[in-house]
Amino acid sequence: MKRTEILISGFGGQGVVRLGQIFSTAAVYEGLYTTMLVSHGTETRGGYVRSQIVIAGQPIDSPVVENPDYFCAMSKSAYTKFMSLVTAGTILYDPGYVEPERNPIARHVAIPARDRVVQELGKDIFANSFFLGVLGQYFKTAIHKEHFYQALSERVAKFQAENRQAFDFGYSYQEGADA
Amino acid sequence: MKRLFDTGNAAITEAAIFAGCKLFAGYPITPATEIAENMSRRLPQVGGFYVQAEDELAALHICIGGSLGGLKAMTSTSGPGYILFADPYGWALGSEIPVVVVNAQRVGPVSGITGAPGQGEFYLSRYPTHGGNFESIVLAPNSVQEAFQLTVEAFYLAERFRMPITVLADQIVTDGWETLLIPETEAEIQAMGLKVALRQINYGPEFYPATDEIDVPPVVLGHNTGAACSDWTPTAEGFDTEEVEWQHKHAYRLIYKVRNNRSIISQYEEFALEDEPDVIFVAYGSPSRVVKSAVQAAREQGLKVGGIRLVSIWPFPDEVFHRSAKYLSVELNYDGQLVREVQRAVPKGSEVHFLGRCGELPKVLELVEAARTLINGQPLKAIKWEREAW
Repeated sequence: MKRTEILISGFGGQGVVRLGQIFSTAAVYEGLYTTMLVSHGTETRGGYVRSQIVIAGQPIDSPVVENPDYFCAMSKSAYTKFMSLVTAGTILYDPGYVEPERNPIARHVAIPARDRVVQELGKDIFANSFFLGVLGQYFKTAIHKEHFYQALSERVAKFQAENRQAFDFGYSYQEGADA
Repeated sequence: MKRLFDTGNAAITEAAIFAGCKLFAGYPITPATEIAENMSRRLPQVGGFYVQAEDELAALHICIGGSLGGLKAMTSTSGPGYILFADPYGWALGSEIPVVVVNAQRVGPVSGITGAPGQGEFYLSRYPTHGGNFESIVLAPNSVQEAFQLTVEAFYLAERFRMPITVLADQIVTDGWETLLIPETEAEIQAMGLKVALRQINYGPEFYPATDEIDVPPVVLGHNTGAACSDWTPTAEGFDTEEVEWQHKHAYRLIYKVRNNRSIISQYEEFALEDEPDVIFVAYGSPSRVVKSAVQAAREQGLKVGGIRLVSIWPFPDEVFHRSAKYLSVELNYDGQLVREVQRAVPKGSEVHFLGRCGELPKVLELVEAARTLINGQPLKAIKWEREAW
């Protein structure tokens, strides 16, 4: 697999890091190489959080995401801060938080994660698993679904059934999408 | 092979357990806290001891005590704690006590910002204590996998050289998540080149030979020793002395056991240096990964660019810098530290330049542009006020 860059950003408490961990763990179980840099503000909740993920078929040199193939924008400020990095990639934004620019250069895809999980599962905390499912769909030829399930069950301590459901909702939301 | 996705902190923990560490004393600090946390969980599983120290000064003293009791020991911290090691580090150097010290560098000045990477302790790791008259051994991993391997190596060198070894990591290495392979079979261990030295015991009567020998077993108290260990000048038998003749022998030993065995320590990586490149990047730790990508990107654009990545930084491998070129030191600080050693080591007539960033890694694009600028004979652009020419 060629080097692929993924940027995930939102605010503290949304599970941005957990989402990155689960995605990356699945990639590692697939036999791929993965790096993830995490940066965040000092607040426990509410501050900005960013995961920079690189996956590739061979060991990765620079772990810096400079030109994301996928950018999961899970908050308005994350979208504003990082959207200009995306030139050839795809921005997956949650319209519950983000109002996209009028004439964007990059490809935009609305992922209504928050509203869907609130509607289906009653809580917005499962939105990250919905995003995970969406990424799972985009990477379905590179990473087997079972590896996402395995990583999810290892990295999520509570509400495993709900998180798995949220993953499935996300996975089927973009049925047919491909990396 | 165990295949994990984990942090550098987890890798360092598993490496210590692999190397036979049986004592960890430490004080939590970002971005090294998880080492202490993981060790508190892992050590009891292997019959070891975890001590939560009241501060870093105590932490390293406790490790020294444990090592003198026959246990392999480790502590970990970041810059603000590393400076507090100054006193016990000297004890360990002077009394030749094996111990492993991890410093996950964060950005300064002084205590700086907790969760952002820096490289401010390059020189402090050369002189981590007072008095001079010694050489230091410092290893600098640039990935989670290498944090595992170099921590194992640090334990190995600590035993062979009978001294404290610093693993000089940075926040990107310790807090960063990455594929981590942990060998399980003998064949996998050998393939990774991992070596483990068992703790030996020195039964005397000579505990401090006036030679440059390595592989001299360390003092383990209670084995014919009395209390043959202090930070004063020792006689060969380990008694304190005020005699200059012994001071000379002691200093000679601390300096030359390292200098005369550098081939065991020295490790570096070279990228695309075969055709005498115009520009050579120099880096250690996490910036070296961006450098490696940048060398490749620059080559794809037809620029004659190479790179040197230091794996062991002290003793400084002067011999690597024998090519005349324009050198560009890429570091996570604004004051320029590695660049000074590069300037000292390069052949006369070489240019030496500096590119410093703080808090996050530079980008590949920036480095390629910097190389192009230097090849065109122009000065690098300052972001704000930095001094570029060295």
